Amino acid sequence: MIKIENLHVEVEGNKILKGVNLEVKAGETHAIMGPNGSGKSTLAQVLAGHEDYEVTKGNVDYLGKNLLDMDVDERACEGIFLAFQYPVELPGVNNTYFLRSALNAQRKHRGEKEIDAMEFMDLISDRIKLLNLKDSLLKRPVNEGFSGGEKKRNEIFQMAVLEPKLALLDETDSGLDIDALRVVANGVNSMKNNENATIVVTHYQRLLNYIIPDFVHILVDGRIISSGDKNLALELEEKGYDKIIEDAKA
Amino acid sequence: MKAIERFAADFDSIMKLSDDNLNNLRKESFEEFRKKGLPTRKEEYWKYSDPSIISKIELELGTSSEYKDDNYDIILVNGNIVKKLKDCKMGNIPDGIKEGELSESILGKKEKPFLNLNNAFTTSGLYLILEENSKQTIKILNLVNNEKSLQAVHPRMEIIANSNSDSLILEEFRIVGNGTNFINSVTEFILKDGANMEHIIVDDFAEETYHVANVCAKQNKNSHFTSHNFSVGKKFARRDFNIELDESGANCNLFGLYFVDKENHIDHHTTIEHKDSHCNSNENYKGILSGKSTGVFNGRIHVHPNAQKTDAIQNNKNLLLSDDSIIHTKPELEIYADDVKCTHGATVGQLDEKALFYLRSRGLSQKKSQKLLMRAYVGEIIDEISNEKLRNELMEMILDRLPEGG
Repeated sequence: MIKIENLHVEVEGNKILKGVNLEVKAGETHAIMGPNGSGKSTLAQVLAGHEDYEVTKGNVDYLGKNLLDMDVDERACEGIFLAFQYPVELPGVNNTYFLRSALNAQRKHRGEKEIDAMEFMDLISDRIKLLNLKDSLLKRPVNEGFSGGEKKRNEIFQMAVLEPKLALLDETDSGLDIDALRVVANGVNSMKNNENATIVVTHYQRLLNYIIPDFVHILVDGRIISSGDKNLALELEEKGYDKIIEDAKA
Repeated sequence: MKAIERFAADFDSIMKLSDDNLNNLRKESFEEFRKKGLPTRKEEYWKYSDPSIISKIELELGTSSEYKDDNYDIILVNGNIVKKLKDCKMGNIPDGIKEGELSESILGKKEKPFLNLNNAFTTSGLYLILEENSKQTIKILNLVNNEKSLQAVHPRMEIIANSNSDSLILEEFRIVGNGTNFINSVTEFILKDGANMEHIIVDDFAEETYHVANVCAKQNKNSHFTSHNFSVGKKFARRDFNIELDESGANCNLFGLYFVDKENHIDHHTTIEHKDSHCNSNENYKGILSGKSTGVFNGRIHVHPNAQKTDAIQNNKNLLLSDDSIIHTKPELEIYADDVKCTHGATVGQLDEKALFYLRSRGLSQKKSQKLLMRAYVGEIIDEISNEKLRNELMEMILDRLPEGG
């Protein structure tokens, strides 16, 4: 689905990613773990198309197309979804209106007809139950006055409505209590199928107890230094980043 | 000074035509206008707006013609009434003065030059008297019909809201024809004890327009005036609001939205005179500027010595969509009473980049994302309109007029 080759990224002259290689196939879930400042959030932002990050070297092939040539909205329309670490509050922008506009923009891009208001209401009332969110949140401005947990659940709710091919979850577990974590993970798992893929960016192993990864990669100082299966995350939890980095160097 | 000479010639001809005894009052106003001439940028209140640009244009006085639109209760064409409300006390201003419905002083000498100019040309215009305890919603179309290429019109409205009347008045300017217009409009309100007046003023989106508007309100005890002002910048647009809170318990709300693009210009000067105790004023103006446009907001709050327990709030926010647009925003507070609460704030900013990225990351185009954020920005002002139907209609109209980014 996505093939990242030798990706180098800078922000305001600082080198953040220094040659990342990663291939994710349809049906797979990959976890990117790493200490603070290792570049894992940058990787998620770059793939989503944030313009502050400058790609200085490397290629990203996404479903046979050059991802780096696409604007952020085009990437979204092609099926990439970023669940934000810090979802943005949009005062005055109604949640339902926003989500319907987004879905219709994507449908239009795919040459499908726009969804009407009634069909849309059916769709969202189905998906909102999945995330255990209150209906009243739909009538409110996007994320405004939402608790930290509600914001994260709203991200996954948007994902459930937009049904992306490639979901990038950026520190989705941060700020969630254990119950909310389960709800979010259930939401993500219920959408999983053989045609889509998920990249989970996280600092801690605990999310991976609920979203079971097929592959775990450890990103340190802008490079993937170690890859393995879900046991790598457990090993990391046990030994800590310093030990793993030492082992990788040896 | 082509314009002034032409004004003088047109003034002479209306003086010959009108046989009423108001000619002396008109003459007094016109002489006052001529004596001072058009304001220049040397004057503090015209520092950023130069009305002398109209002096080079020879503007012929506009005349009336028929116009039909069932959406409106009252229609004025170039300042002349062509459609009337049946069950309301109303008519031509000169008739109203002759019949004693209106005070002669409304056509007397004024301080502001454009008020004097409007006075001089008030051969018709609308007066409207809202009965005590009545409740009404009235839609007025102020049509500027330009069959000539260069035209001056001076629409005038005098509205008297009697005690405890409750009204909503929509005043919509519309321009027909492609000519150049100079519109010098005056809308005056007198609010008697306990009267409630909601005024919506919305103007047209015609480019070749020089628009000077004055909206004035004089408020008696416990009256409420709420103004919703939606304006789009033209070659030259200047709109003044002058609110006099004459007696205790009088309150006013001034809400405004202005859009300006290209090389156009828009200027709002608002003045709230707090003359007595226990009066509140609340003002919230927002602008969106793009292209190489210029905007001006000057908000004056004048608290007189006996206006104790005044509560005045003023806010002006501006969104600049381009590097070349300019806004001059200035609060002007003059306070002579000691037990008052006055707050003011002004901001100038751009659309939030983080919010734009968030919206685009869900598949919305840059343009659509900008519109969504602008819709949210203007929503706060439009939501203040109490009538749901009008609110929705205006929302549609205003969303259509949002300037493009850049």
